[in-house]
Amino acid sequence: MNILTEEAAIEGKNIIKDFQLGDTKTRVLKNISLKVIQGEFVSIMGQSGSGKSTLLYILGGLDVPTSGSVFINGMDISKFNDEKMSRIRRQNIGFVFQFYNLIPNLNVAENIMLPLLLDGKKMRDYKKPLKDILEVVGLWDKRGHTPRELSGGQQQRVAIARALIGNPEILFADEPTGNLDSHTGAEIMSLLQRINKERGQTIIMVTHSPEAAKSSSRVITVSDGQLQ
Amino acid sequence: MKIILKYILTNVKERKARTFVMLLSILLSAMLLFISFSIGVSYESAQRKMARGMAGSATVSVQSVEGGIHADHIPALPDIQTKAGIVEGTSLYHENGYYETVDLLAADMEALNQINKPRLIGDGEVTAFSGNQIILPDRFTSKYGIEKGDTVTLQINGSPVDFEVAEIAAYDTVFLRHTRGATALLPLETIKEVLGWEDGYSEILIEPAPNSTTGNLISELKNALDNGKYRVSEVVNEAQIAADARQKSMPFFLISFFSLTMSIFIIYSSYKVITLDRLPIIGTFRSIGATEKTVTCILLLESLFYGCTGGLIGIPVGMIVLKGILQGMGKSLSQGIEIPAVISVPGVILSFAVAVIVSLFSAWLPVCRASRLPIKDIVLGTAEEKYIPRPLIVGIGIVLFIVSALLPRFASGTMLYLAGGFSLSGLIAAAILVIPVFTNLASAGLERFYGAAAGNEGRIAARNMKDNKNVTQNITLLFISISAIIAIRVVGNFVTTYISDVFHGAELQGFADGHMNPEFVEQVKEMDGAEKVLPLYVFKNNVQGNSEPISRLEGTDNLEWYNSMFALHYTDRLMSEQAALSFASGERAVIINEDCMKRGGFSIGDRIMLSNGTSGNSYVVAGSFKSRATDVEAVIPSMYAVSDFGASDYDLLAYTAADPDAIMVQIRALFGETSNWSRTVEEFNNDALATVGAFLQPMHSMTYFILLLATVGVINNLLINYIQKRRTIAMYKSIGLSNRQNRKMTLIEGFSSGLMGAVIAIVVSYMEIQTIFLVAGPQISMTPELDIWTFLVAGTLGIIVTLLGSIVPIFKSRKMKLVEEIKFE
Ligand SMILES: Nc1ncnc2c1ncn2[C@@H]1O[C@H](COP(=O)(O)OP(=O)(O)O)[C@@H](O)[C@H]1O
Ligand SMILES: [Mg+2]
Repeated sequence: MNILTEEAAIEGKNIIKDFQLGDTKTRVLKNISLKVIQGEFVSIMGQSGSGKSTLLYILGGLDVPTSGSVFINGMDISKFNDEKMSRIRRQNIGFVFQFYNLIPNLNVAENIMLPLLLDGKKMRDYKKPLKDILEVVGLWDKRGHTPRELSGGQQQRVAIARALIGNPEILFADEPTGNLDSHTGAEIMSLLQRINKERGQTIIMVTHSPEAAKSSSRVITVSDGQLQ
Repeated sequence: MKIILKYILTNVKERKARTFVMLLSILLSAMLLFISFSIGVSYESAQRKMARGMAGSATVSVQSVEGGIHADHIPALPDIQTKAGIVEGTSLYHENGYYETVDLLAADMEALNQINKPRLIGDGEVTAFSGNQIILPDRFTSKYGIEKGDTVTLQINGSPVDFEVAEIAAYDTVFLRHTRGATALLPLETIKEVLGWEDGYSEILIEPAPNSTTGNLISELKNALDNGKYRVSEVVNEAQIAADARQKSMPFFLISFFSLTMSIFIIYSSYKVITLDRLPIIGTFRSIGATEKTVTCILLLESLFYGCTGGLIGIPVGMIVLKGILQGMGKSLSQGIEIPAVISVPGVILSFAVAVIVSLFSAWLPVCRASRLPIKDIVLGTAEEKYIPRPLIVGIGIVLFIVSALLPRFASGTMLYLAGGFSLSGLIAAAILVIPVFTNLASAGLERFYGAAAGNEGRIAARNMKDNKNVTQNITLLFISISAIIAIRVVGNFVTTYISDVFHGAELQGFADGHMNPEFVEQVKEMDGAEKVLPLYVFKNNVQGNSEPISRLEGTDNLEWYNSMFALHYTDRLMSEQAALSFASGERAVIINEDCMKRGGFSIGDRIMLSNGTSGNSYVVAGSFKSRATDVEAVIPSMYAVSDFGASDYDLLAYTAADPDAIMVQIRALFGETSNWSRTVEEFNNDALATVGAFLQPMHSMTYFILLLATVGVINNLLINYIQKRRTIAMYKSIGLSNRQNRKMTLIEGFSSGLMGAVIAIVVSYMEIQTIFLVAGPQISMTPELDIWTFLVAGTLGIIVTLLGSIVPIFKSRKMKLVEEIKFE
């Protein structure tokens, strides 16, 4: 396999995740290892409750594994403290969620710029990238609107733009079309596909729609806490 | 619909903290309102008791126009319950140059025990009271260190008489008085002997029969008695007492007003969240056929429960607190005056009703909005509260603000009270309406400032406050709490000063009341450190103006000093100059106090005849004034007091000095054994405070309840806030906000909302205070002093509270499970 020779964007090693629910401990992820190389578009599939989201969040550093490690750019992020981890989130990672998670009282442009602002960058230095990304997602003329003035599909495109503004190594998406009708969902998928192709963006996406998974270059399936 | 009810009940049980906060807020409000009502009434009854003093349950007094009166002069009317003949006299107690008036009183003890039984320390009875024995109140004996069995010497008609202290009595019943000095009880035979009184009694006090009224009895007595020979009068002026009590309970009502406003806000904001929380279930039930009305009803039922429970618990708790407060009042008066708690039925009913209505009303608004939402939106979960500061609302807010600020200025009479009430609520309502826009403008301004001072985090924090309903809610609550505290403090301090410091604003630092010849005055002027020395001629009750008796007329040679020494407030500013010119020009001019002007029907510029029966002259009325520092009714130039009324010695001297106490000691020495009543203003105030201080204590205790309620409100807001804020924080963290940045932003946000709340509170409370004094103004001749520190301290406290409040979310969000917040909607 040529995967071994190419440079890994992210690598998970022996990831185990337990959840404590009352007295019972359930092992949701049972020793998962995987490697995603730069420029790949990976879909994670599996039945509801199989642990897809859990895996994605651990890879993306939103959650920590019970044991095992995650390497981004050769750094083991599972050992990072809050300060370092936050910087990784701002600079190396972009996240897109099912429910958009936009800040309701900031407008589109401000929402998109947030990761850069949090990184101490100046708004005026990023006029060009902002314009570019707004054009990629097709929301240039909506830049002054607040999220609640937008449709679901538009909100998800804002979320994608926000995830991409910092030129992250990896874009994570958890069921980005889960809350959208099939037509809008297809639009979002083709947007992601375009971003992957044209910008060479590495994408890891959770979906349970086979239709959506078709856009990706590789599909991995989680079942009973293990990769199939 | 039982199932919805069940759902809501489970909700109440689950949301313990929120239920508790709402219940507590309405409970505290009901309690405060009840206490306000009752304290006014209790206050009035205690006040009445003091004003009645020696008369006790007797309400009518009969005196002979000349000489004494005998018990059998009073006809045996069925409306008479008890007649108590009394003999009164006056004496002076003298120690270390300090003189105190001691009014002497004697009565036939049996009748006195009926109308006003003396309460002895140690609960004994007055027995074998005869010869040169005296009963003194403990308020007097403790001041001078007198014990039972000691001998005291009183100056009666200029000669010293020794008495043995037979008993010491509580400062209560016959010994209560609302003027300075003390009352002493003597055996009837003894008083007649020392005063040389032979002819019966000096006055007969009459208690009306239980089914009769004072008014009836007075008219019956007037009919039965020869009006040329007897004077029948009411012992105390009930109307005056009621008016007094009303004025003094003003701060308490103010406290209730603010506590209710806060309750409304607390319940309203809780309900907004509650209904939002329950939208899914409301939607579900609406979709299976529950009508709008049913949903509204069921939600309101819950608030009815809060109202009733709050009232039912709050009022009894209020009774306990009231008892405690009144007991504290009694205690802090070491003389042990007893103020019984008067629990008024209308007070109970009204407080309960208000508790229920307020909680229903505050819940009604958000509930109504929720039940009107389209079912589709609720079911799909797309129903969300629109939050847009509409220009119309802002416009209404601004208009309301202006109207509220101006209305009391144009109203008068009863309308003034209505206008005042409207203005107080209107100002708060207007501020609530304007706050969203104010916050947006302020956050835009702060964005630049924080951007420069705290970088991007500062900028985002400022930006984040824009259109943020959590923030406006916080600011609103904060401003209501802070302005409540400011207004209550200012009004409370004012009432304290008003009651206890009659010389407030007056320049004099001491006064001497006694006969002083010009040489005496010269000596005072020569004293080391004496600054202004103002001697005055005094005519008590012996000058008439156009036949209207003037109770006190004074002559001065320096009207300018007189004005400032006694803080005269002229009816209008120009009058002060006019009066000064008239006095300086050497014409016969008089200035008259406003009461006397009204009574005599005088107007400015009139020429009136001032005469003392033997001589008189025509004076021009050069001004009118009011003053709390003196009860003088008319003032004329001293040269005419001499030429027209034959004044030679002075009777009053007011002074200012580097060290007022040093001058006072020397003045007392100058008087020697001559009777005089001389005090520094400080001594005078201390005396006065001993009496009224107790009444002010409860007001301060109530301020703590307001603080408690404010804290409850802030906690409630934090609870509501944190639920909503968690998600936002999670969103921020998911795109790379670190804990450090979160801390910084939260603190900036907390500080800014605290600052805004404080600024709005300062403005609004300033306006509220203006209204309060406009409404109360006509009765008070004193302008409030607004201490900038009160405002600043309250504002700073508000900021600190908000900052402390924001620490909770910081700590909670540190440990937050990011994924859980984001994953589940
Ligand atoms: N915070 C949590 N606490 C306990 N159990 C959890 C938690 N998060 C997820 N789980 C459980 O882990 C399993 C996998 O969840 P998830 O990764 O969300 O599944 P998927 O995204 O594949 O539907 C589920 O059984 C879920 O109940
Ligand atoms: Mg999932």
